[in-house]
Amino acid sequence: MVNVETALKEATTTIEGAIGAALVDYGSGMALGHVGGGKDLDLTVAAAGNTDVVRAKVRTMEMLGLKDEIEDILITLGSQYHLIRLLKGRNSEGFFLYLALDRGRANLAMARHQLKKIEESLEV
Amino acid sequence: MNTAMVPAEAEAEILAELRRLRARVPQLSGALAASADGLVLAQDSAATEAESVAALTAAALGVAQRLSDCTGQGGFRELLVRGEHGYVATYAAGEAAVLTLIAEPRVNVGRLHLEARRSSVRITELIEHSLGRRSGPEAPAADHT
Repeated sequence: MVNVETALKEATTTIEGAIGAALVDYGSGMALGHVGGGKDLDLTVAAAGNTDVVRAKVRTMEMLGLKDEIEDILITLGSQYHLIRLLKGRNSEGFFLYLALDRGRANLAMARHQLKKIEESLEV
Repeated sequence: MNTAMVPAEAEAEILAELRRLRARVPQLSGALAASADGLVLAQDSAATEAESVAALTAAALGVAQRLSDCTGQGGFRELLVRGEHGYVATYAAGEAAVLTLIAEPRVNVGRLHLEARRSSVRITELIEHSLGRRSGPEAPAADHT
């Protein structure tokens, strides 16, 4: 089991093409931690904005009567991929990992696999 | 409703800013701009207890300022209270005014902070602009200790 800081560092250093990563509480829209980002990608803004994305999808699924859960959400931009992965674990309901990738350098399948591994080892 | 601090047209502009803020953060149930000494400058809320909220905000602000000061954290920036049924957040709008927001428990606090900080900058500009327009010997003092 690894802590938040270690998991985020691992995500930004081992995943090819990573620009920034954050762990977000989508109950409040606040980040528990973030690594990377910078002036081109404000991760506190991303945390708040993507909280709305996750909440909208959860609500939509409720309205559709889908008794299922979100594993991850992929947003494809012209030059970036944004990956949102919801945490499962007993004590980590209500959080998601957010990862921004450079589309030119990233391997999406590999990134998704690595993020899943990091999520499984993460303890909040 | 309007106080001596800002003229009516500035009050209208502040009110427009509060309405824009409520449109951007729909979970807000009330928004209020008040002077640091507890007078309502503009308010947009369904409930009518603006005067008492402004007065309580001023009292909380005084304590928050002292707390921030005596722990070496510098001047007051913001105050967040979480109750069982929601949040009350107060943001500094310059030296002489504050922005107080009342939000439902399911509000996105991250977004609340982002939008409210932007609004408080805008409200500061509106107040300073209106004080500038009226500058002269009669201009109200904006000092707070």
